[in-house]
Amino acid sequence: MIVGEQLTIEVRQDDDRIVLTLHGELDLLGAPRLRGEIESHAVDAADIVVLDLDDVQFIDSAGLRVVLAAHERTVERGQRLALTPGSPQVQRLLSIAGVSGHLQTIASADAALV
Amino acid sequence: MTKPGSEVPRDLLIEAGAILASSLDPTTTMEQVARLTVPRLADLCVIDLRDEDGAIVDVAVVATEEGLARELEELRARYPLDPAGEHPVAQVIRGGEPVLLAEMTDALLRSFAQGSEHARFMIEHGYRSAVVAPMVARGRTLGALSTLRLGESERYGTQERDLVAELARRAALAIDNAQLYSDLQRLEQRLEAVLANLAEAITVVDSRGQMVFANQAAADLLGFLTPGELTRAHPGTVMTRFIVQDEHGRELDLESMPARRLFRGEQHEPLLVRNIVRATGEERWLIVRSSPIPDPENGRIGYAVNVFENITEVKRAQLGESFMAEASRALASSMDYGETLQRVARLAVPQIADWCAVDLLNERGTIERVAVHHPDPRKLELAARIDRAHRPTLDEPEGVPEVIRTGEARIFNDIQPEALAAYAHNSEHLELLSAIGATAVIIVPMIGATGALGAITLVSSESMRRLTAADLGVAERLGRRAGTAVENARLYTERIRIAHTLQRALLPESLPEVPGAEIEARYCAAGELNEVGGDFYDVFEHGEDSWMLVIGDVCGKGSRAAGVTALARHTLRTASMGGQSAAEMLETLHRALRRQPPGADLCTACLVKVTPASGRMRLTVTLAGHPPPVLIHARGDARQVGRPGTLLGVLDPIDVVEHETELRAGETLLLYTDGIPEAGHSGEALGERGLIELCRKAPQLTLAQLLEHIEHTALEHAEGSLRDDLALLGMRMCHSPLR
Repeated sequence: MIVGEQLTIEVRQDDDRIVLTLHGELDLLGAPRLRGEIESHAVDAADIVVLDLDDVQFIDSAGLRVVLAAHERTVERGQRLALTPGSPQVQRLLSIAGVSGHLQTIASADAALV
Repeated sequence: MTKPGSEVPRDLLIEAGAILASSLDPTTTMEQVARLTVPRLADLCVIDLRDEDGAIVDVAVVATEEGLARELEELRARYPLDPAGEHPVAQVIRGGEPVLLAEMTDALLRSFAQGSEHARFMIEHGYRSAVVAPMVARGRTLGALSTLRLGESERYGTQERDLVAELARRAALAIDNAQLYSDLQRLEQRLEAVLANLAEAITVVDSRGQMVFANQAAADLLGFLTPGELTRAHPGTVMTRFIVQDEHGRELDLESMPARRLFRGEQHEPLLVRNIVRATGEERWLIVRSSPIPDPENGRIGYAVNVFENITEVKRAQLGESFMAEASRALASSMDYGETLQRVARLAVPQIADWCAVDLLNERGTIERVAVHHPDPRKLELAARIDRAHRPTLDEPEGVPEVIRTGEARIFNDIQPEALAAYAHNSEHLELLSAIGATAVIIVPMIGATGALGAITLVSSESMRRLTAADLGVAERLGRRAGTAVENARLYTERIRIAHTLQRALLPESLPEVPGAEIEARYCAAGELNEVGGDFYDVFEHGEDSWMLVIGDVCGKGSRAAGVTALARHTLRTASMGGQSAAEMLETLHRALRRQPPGADLCTACLVKVTPASGRMRLTVTLAGHPPPVLIHARGDARQVGRPGTLLGVLDPIDVVEHETELRAGETLLLYTDGIPEAGHSGEALGERGLIELCRKAPQLTLAQLLEHIEHTALEHAEGSLRDDLALLGMRMCHSPLR
């Protein structure tokens, strides 16, 4: 297993919106870290959850799985989830996975949701 | 009174020679020498010696009249001679030359008297004529010999002077020798006292091997009550009391001992010796050093001094530690515990024991011998025969079964034939056990997390070494380490076995033949084989005249992923048999995944339906979250085919598109999982573009070579450690016309 750049997550609360800014690689090693954040009380309490993927260098299927789990969880709890577009690799993966239509993408972490 | 005559000198000197040679006690000797001269040569004889402080002390006074001698002694005690004074004795000692005082007047006597009483004494007793001769040996004046004639006796002449001088010289030699001898004795006594009190055992042997000296420590070490008993022992009989080996367990004989090598003129380094007392089995580690004592006369080595330093405790602690370190390394080196335990058994011999055997309790509850070691192959054969004669079962009260049952170590020393007979299970067993000749045995359990997994047996036999509490400690530690290693290895082996079984269920054993096309596949699991991957591929007939190529990827690793992967593969096959289209098959799989327990089991898949048509293959590519396959033209340009579709198992509804295309003669279709483009560090990964580049080589390569080349390149990017599994499935359409 290649240990890529370790994932770090910054959490920023802005009224009813919580922004999780990810740095590094969202892979098999980083995925549990993101899962932990997403299941936190702070995230549960927000109306809008934003995953800022702009500084994510790499995402694999394990990372995608957590993003999709976050999507499911927010749908169930009546929250809204949005992602920033991320790197070409992230965009390509989301496109291949055929999930772009299910996930709302916003231009930047602070942009309004449609 | 004194007899004159020429025969006197010769007789006197001969008699003096006998006296001087016979006794070595200086006082007695001087007394006898003085007595010789009276009355033949003198009426009074006095021998004075200079003591260490330079004072003059009379050591012998002999006179024809006993009263006179005692009186003079008493007087001299009160008035010692002044070494710097005028008395002839003092003068002669200072000057070193004999003096003849043929005729002494009263005035002369008064001139050197040590006071008026002394003067009166000499005058009253009629001191008349005297010879005073120095006693000189090795250039030093030790004292003076004085002969005197009293009253009317004959006066001395030069003849008497020379005679007395010669006598004095001989007496001086005798005194000197006696002093040297007593100095030597004192030195030896001091040396012996020092040696006797040394903790190190010391012996001195001569060139014939006879011990001439030993201290108490040597007697203790070599098993004798006193040093005398040891030095009287016949050379060669001392060593037979012991088993003497070098560090590596090789037997050493007397000739390899440092002292013997010293006498042979060979290099002699300090020798580390393992020494076992035959009588008790006690083991000692000794450093033996020898130093030569040359014979001053011929320069050859006359004696050798042996110093035995007992380093048993240090050595055993060190051996225990290094053995444990080596054993731990051996135990950690391989997951093949059979081989590992054999290595541990080899390490234990001869450091701890003469024999080492390892028994394991297997799943069937029987005790199995997995390793045994002894340096002699014939002895190993003996061990095999014992094993055949009797294989212990777990319910036996003693030995290995007991230790495995209780988890408690056992130690036995001084094993007697009766004990062996009681333990043996039949006569053949007893015979073989006796042949081993065990004197001491340690059995320790091999402890794992779940209890004792087996036992390690250490046997002391031909070395006769007694096994100690320290040995038991080392053995128990070994048992714990070995237990853990065996447990780990068993778990590992079990996981590999399960992994292989599962992996076989995930991948087809062989690929079917598609007429007019060639099909190849490659698969490489990330990490160890014990982690079952989530990639799968399959090829099967679809309807009357079509085939379905399938490749997919279930997110995750381990048993759950393996289960989902198997589900995916078999669901697709089943759906195909039911006559479903590719899109319908994917929908079926999606619904099956959604019925799985929650946990976001996500699966991607690529289905390609292949239908041979005249001179080409019609292809229908359907993607569900999977990277699109690559279609490589005959000249090597490549493009991806298919429309992105939703991955399966997470989001409802899924949206997949069946995309039509075709494969012509010489063209290749390549299906792959994301492990290929994602191999390597981010930024340096192969990528989809890199993959398309690689495909340019396709025209020069067979299909198998192409797949191998791609896999190899991906592994290079990954630098030997993959993030994810790799799967490749390729189909190439033949140039030859369809059958």
